[in-house]
Amino acid sequence: MRLPEFNRTLRQLVTVPIVLLILMAGFLVWQIVAATTAQTALDHSDQVTAQLQELESLFIDQETGLRGFQLTGDPVMLDPWKAAAGPIEMHFANLRAMLPGDNAQLKSLGDLETGYNEWLGFANAVLNQNPTALNAAGMNQRGKAMMDGIRGSAAAMLRHEQNIRAERYHHARWLQRRELLSLLVSAVLVGIFLAMFSRHHVHAISASYLRQIAEITERSDQLFESQQWFQTTLESIGDAVIACSNRGAVTFMNAVSEKLTGWTIADAKGKPLEKVFHIVNEQTRQRCDNPVEKVRRLKQVVGLANHTVLIGRDGREYVIDDSAAPITSGDGKMIGVVLVFRDVTEERRVQTALVASEKLAVAGRLAASIAHEIHNPLDSVANLHFLLAEESDPVKRAEYLRLAQQELSRTMQISRTMLSLYREPKAPIQIDLSELIEGVLLLLDRRLQHQGIALETNIAGELMVEGFPAELRQVFTNLIVNAIEAAGVKGRVRIRMERAESGELQGAGAMIEVADSGPGIAPEAARRLFQPFFTTKGVEGTGLGLWVSMGIVQKHGGSISVATSADTDLPGARIQVYLPARTLAQQAGQPAA
Amino acid sequence: MSVPTILCIDDEALGLEIRKTVLERAGYQVLVATDGPAGLSIFRERNVDGVVLDYYMPEMDGGVVAEAMRRERPAVPIMLLSAYINLPAEVVTLVDVTLLKGEGPLELLEKLRLMLGAKNQSPPPMPRSGGAA
Repeated sequence: MRLPEFNRTLRQLVTVPIVLLILMAGFLVWQIVAATTAQTALDHSDQVTAQLQELESLFIDQETGLRGFQLTGDPVMLDPWKAAAGPIEMHFANLRAMLPGDNAQLKSLGDLETGYNEWLGFANAVLNQNPTALNAAGMNQRGKAMMDGIRGSAAAMLRHEQNIRAERYHHARWLQRRELLSLLVSAVLVGIFLAMFSRHHVHAISASYLRQIAEITERSDQLFESQQWFQTTLESIGDAVIACSNRGAVTFMNAVSEKLTGWTIADAKGKPLEKVFHIVNEQTRQRCDNPVEKVRRLKQVVGLANHTVLIGRDGREYVIDDSAAPITSGDGKMIGVVLVFRDVTEERRVQTALVASEKLAVAGRLAASIAHEIHNPLDSVANLHFLLAEESDPVKRAEYLRLAQQELSRTMQISRTMLSLYREPKAPIQIDLSELIEGVLLLLDRRLQHQGIALETNIAGELMVEGFPAELRQVFTNLIVNAIEAAGVKGRVRIRMERAESGELQGAGAMIEVADSGPGIAPEAARRLFQPFFTTKGVEGTGLGLWVSMGIVQKHGGSISVATSADTDLPGARIQVYLPARTLAQQAGQPAA
Repeated sequence: MSVPTILCIDDEALGLEIRKTVLERAGYQVLVATDGPAGLSIFRERNVDGVVLDYYMPEMDGGVVAEAMRRERPAVPIMLLSAYINLPAEVVTLVDVTLLKGEGPLELLEKLRLMLGAKNQSPPPMPRSGGAA
């Protein structure tokens, strides 16, 4: 039942009984008025009867007075006669006034009055005569007859009035009974109706109330279930989840976050987040910013800095990757913060292994070239040694020894260059980039020659940057080998190096460009070029070269970008590497991937 | 019995010169070329008893040179001498002998002697002095 319907029902419950009772009261008033009218009519009959009886009595008084005077001749005897005359007139007048509409009675009254007046005329005639003649028998007979007639008329009127009264009495009694019965019946009917009406409405309200109770119960059950569902889902999620209030007090933790932090939700609930979620920088060991503060400041999803380590309650450490997001209410107000994080310790180990394996892969790519470079002079040295053993001419011996020395130096140079791919100083050092690239080109010399690559270099002049030489050699070996492979047989490769002036976005440093005459890089490939395991070389490539190269360059505070050259002279891919003169890198090792 | 003539082809000029001296010491007549096309033209013009061929050379590698020689005179034995460790299988089957550079002159001479002996049924040349250090 909706609220308007409910209100209407309530209004009906009040107004319908009132209206009904008013109607019933009206009906009863009508009944009472009818009964009262009947009573008044009854009273009227009684009054008419009383007047008639009074009149009869006055007639007797007058007759008696007249008789007394007749008998005694004493005028005193006429006093009643005289006294009655006025009232008789009055009664006649009263009766006439009381009987309008009743023609029969009016006619009888007229007859009575006429009879009386005749008698009165007779009586006056008697009184005016000689008193002795008063007792004449004939006269008395006549007077008596006249008076009898009057009495008869009055009696007839009385009878008639009695009849009317009796009728009226019955009518009044009937009305009284009807009134009583009406009262009874209407009271019973209204009572029954009101009882049924109220019962029906109260039933409706009560049914609606029960229905609403059931609905609310069901809804709260559903709400409970849905809450359970969300709780279970959050609990079962593979990532760790911690929710906290706007002020940073922990409100929820799932099983994974309990495991990683070493805190149970029972212990952690209400505690400040930084106590439960203790994070430090992997390298500096300094405490990281409280993510709740950061979210509150920025009001958006924030990621955590790289190299974040979570220290559990038991002292165990996990490298984690995480994000923090504001929890907002319906009206956009921030009511809390949710942290989602993952243990990436294993992932980091795998990444480190991948970086190491890529380093080996670079060596692998050079192995054939290196073997060739070393075996050639070694072969000569072995031959020279063979010749020396049998040669006795000192001039020839000296020549053989000189040649052997020359070939050995070449071998050592190759070997040193190869070793420099691996030997790394502990801190960044000053590197002459042109020297470094020349070294890489020396290792690749055979390869370039074999493919008949026309190499154009513009790397004259010393250009110093700070960094880790082995890692940078790895980067340039990758880039140049890629260019050689892309250029193909008799292709062209151009290596350019120039000083980069300090600008708005970067400090002073070096810009090295490696361009080739190959087919260029498709835009969709360019986007994925620096992702791990992306390769355009099929099974030949590891797909790690550029990913690791980018990691190394970024670690040095530089950047690496790829474009397909618009230069018609050299239409292939063009990779640009910027390296700052002052590096940001702290130590050699895995790049910041 | 005539002295066997060996054609040596290698882009490493110094190594080639030293190898030539070693072979001459062993009693062979030696012809040299520093690239494939030059080697092939000597092969066509001169009577050669065996070829010592470098694999990894610019422009025309040893495989291509060996194939061309086989087409012209398949009877001439070819030794593929290389510092390259991943020789293609079809090239290895094409030649008679493969030898890794740096295995030393004794190995070179022994394998060359066996190769010439198997192909030409001619007795191996005798080095002027026995063995080296």
